[in-house]
Amino acid sequence: MAELSLKRVEKSFNEAHIIKGIDLEVSEGEFVVFVGPSGCGKSTLLRMIAGLEEVSAGEIEIGGRIVNDLPPVQRGIAMVFQSYALYPHMTVYENIAFPLRVERLPQAEVDKRVDAAAKVLQLESRLQQRPGTLSGGQRQRVAIGRAIVRQPRIFLFDEPLSNLDAALRSEMRIELMELHKRLGSTMIYVTHDQVEAMTMADKIVVLDAGTISQIGSPLQLYHKPDNLFVAGFIGSPKMDFINGTVSSADGTTAVVDLGELGTISLPRQSKAIAGQTVTIGIRPEHLNLDRREGEFTLSVTPNIVEQLGIHTVTYSTLPGGENFIGLFEGDPSVPEGQKLDISFALDQVHLFDQAGLAVY
Amino acid sequence: MSDVARTTEAAAGTSSLSATTQAMARTAPRGRRSGRPMIDRYKWYEIVLLYAGMAVFLFFVLAPFIEGFLVSLKPLSQLFSTPYNFIPQNGSFDAYFTMWQSVPMLALYIFNSFFISTVVTLIVIAVVVPAAYAFARFQFGGSGILLGGFLAVNMFSGAVLLIPLFRLMRTMGLLNTYWAMIVPGAAFLIPSSIWLLRTYMMRIPRELDEAAWVDGASRLYTLRRVVLPLAMPGIVVVAIMTFIGAYAQQFIFALTFNSRSEFMPLPIGLFAFFGKQEVIWNELMAASFIGILPVMIVIVFLQRYLVAGLTAGAVKQ
Repeated sequence: MAELSLKRVEKSFNEAHIIKGIDLEVSEGEFVVFVGPSGCGKSTLLRMIAGLEEVSAGEIEIGGRIVNDLPPVQRGIAMVFQSYALYPHMTVYENIAFPLRVERLPQAEVDKRVDAAAKVLQLESRLQQRPGTLSGGQRQRVAIGRAIVRQPRIFLFDEPLSNLDAALRSEMRIELMELHKRLGSTMIYVTHDQVEAMTMADKIVVLDAGTISQIGSPLQLYHKPDNLFVAGFIGSPKMDFINGTVSSADGTTAVVDLGELGTISLPRQSKAIAGQTVTIGIRPEHLNLDRREGEFTLSVTPNIVEQLGIHTVTYSTLPGGENFIGLFEGDPSVPEGQKLDISFALDQVHLFDQAGLAVY
Repeated sequence: MSDVARTTEAAAGTSSLSATTQAMARTAPRGRRSGRPMIDRYKWYEIVLLYAGMAVFLFFVLAPFIEGFLVSLKPLSQLFSTPYNFIPQNGSFDAYFTMWQSVPMLALYIFNSFFISTVVTLIVIAVVVPAAYAFARFQFGGSGILLGGFLAVNMFSGAVLLIPLFRLMRTMGLLNTYWAMIVPGAAFLIPSSIWLLRTYMMRIPRELDEAAWVDGASRLYTLRRVVLPLAMPGIVVVAIMTFIGAYAQQFIFALTFNSRSEFMPLPIGLFAFFGKQEVIWNELMAASFIGILPVMIVIVFLQRYLVAGLTAGAVKQ
C-alpha cells in the first residue's frame, strides 16, 4: 500500500492556477525529491501535503486515510523549513522538545526522546545553548531534531540546505542520507538543485509549471528524459540542444537536417516525425575531442575554456545560434578561439519532436 | 576609487569575523589608530559641530527642568526679587518637606495619577496584544478599513470630543469616578498602540507560527509560548508609551469629568498650591518633580525588558 498518494491534486490562489492536477504514489521508506525551477509549485505541493495550504481539488491520502481536512499534527508528518524556523528564545533542548511539550508528554519521556534525537544529530553538547549561538549546519540539525522526536510517518523537507554554504551543503546531504538509512522513514524533499535531487533521491519528481514533467529514478531521468524540459533540467552542465528538421523518417532511420552542421541519421521507429522541426540533444560529457569513425563530427570554436583539472569545459556558439558546451576529461590542450573537431556517438543522441517530447 | 575600496575593506575587517587574515592585516594599522571604521570617522571641526548641535537641542529640552528644579530650591521670597537670580542663594530642600503640609492630599494625588496610568496601561496591553496579533497574522474582511479607522481616530485629540464624551459619561453614570479618567484614557491610546505592536509582530517570521502549527500547537499556545516572548520588547515599548501617554493626558479628562478631590490626579491636584493670595511656586515645582518619580521608576523597571535582537537565530536572513 502506498504511504502517500495524491489524486488529481489541484491548487489555485484566486485566479492563479499553481498546481494543475497531480497524481503521485510514494511507498513506505522511499526518499522522494520534488525538483523544479522556482515557481513550479514544488513548495506549494509540499505545504499541501503538510497541511499548511488547503487543497483546492483532488485528494491527499496518507497511510490509506484521506487527510485533506486534517490539521498537520493528525497527518503523521513532520516538516523541516527552509529557514529552520527555530524558536530563538528557547534552548536547543526546548526547541527539540517543543512538539512533545505540546503533546504534554511526561518529563521522563521528553528527556528520553530529546536525548535520543540529540545523539543521532550530535547535538548533545549544544542542548543548553540558544539557536542564535549555533552555526547554520547546527541550526539545521536542531530543526531536523524537532522533526525526529515526533516519530512521524513522513518527513517533509522544504529546501533545507539552500541556506548553507557549498561545503556544508554536501556534508549535510550525506548526513541526511545516513539519517534516512537509519530511520527508514518516508522522506519527501523539495529542492531546486538538481545535484541534490540526483544524489539523494530514490525517486525524482520533476515539476514544471504546476504539472509533473516526469517521475523516475535519477538514472532514468538522466538516460531517458521524457521531454526537453527534463533533458535540460537534469545534468550539469546542461544538455546541448541543436535545432533541425527531419528530412525523412522511414520507420527505422530518421534523417535530421542540422543546417550548416550537416545531416545526422538516427535509429528511430517513428514515421510521424517526418517533416517536423525537431531538437536533438547531446550531453556535454558524451562529447569526444577527436574525430572518430562512425560518430557524428562537428567543428566549433570555443570562446571560453575552463580548466578544472579533473575536467575541461568549453563554451562555443553554433552557426544556428545555439550555445554548445563541451565537457572533457582531464586537461587536454584546447586553445580558446581555435577551431576544433568534436564527435559524439549516435546512440547517445536524444531526439525531441515538435512538441518537445522524446522520440526513442 | 581606492578610498572607497579601503573603506569597504575596513568595514569588512571590523564587522565580520570571517574576513580573511590578509585583509585584517592590511586594515590593522588603520584600525589601531582610530579604532573605528572609516565611515564613522570625523574631522575635529565636525565633532565640534556635532556636540554644539547636541548642546543646543538639549538646552531647549532641559532648560525648563533645570529652572524648575532651581525654583524648587529657592525660598519663596527670592522668586520675586529683582534683579532675578537664577542660582539659588542659601537654597534648601525645605519645599520638599513643607509641601506635604501645605497640601495634605498630595500623596493621594500622586497615588491617583500612578493608579490611573497603571490601570490604563493594563487595559491597553490586554486589548492590544491579541488585536495586534490578529491584525499581523490573519486576513479578514475589513482589516484594512479598521486600521485606517484607528489612524483617523488618532487625528482627533481628546479635547475635540470632550463635550460628547461628557454626555456619554453622564449617561453611563461614570462621572466623578476613577473610570471617568481611565476609560477615555485607554480608548484614545489603544489605536496607536495597535499600529505599533502590529508592525512589531509582523517582523516575527511567519514560519515560526507554521512550525508550531505543524507540531500540533494551537493558535493560543503559539501566541503564549512563541509570539509573546518574542514580541516582549514591542510590548514593553507599548507599555511605556501608554503609561507616559496616560500620565500626560489625564489632566484634561480629570479636569472635565471629575470634581471629587479624592480621585484627582497630580496635574489637577497641583492647583491646590494656587492659594487665594499667592502661588507657592517652590512647593509646586517640588511636587511636580516628586510626581514624576513614579514614572521614572516604572520606565527604569520596564527598560530591562527592552532586549534588542531577541529574534536573532530564528530564521536565516
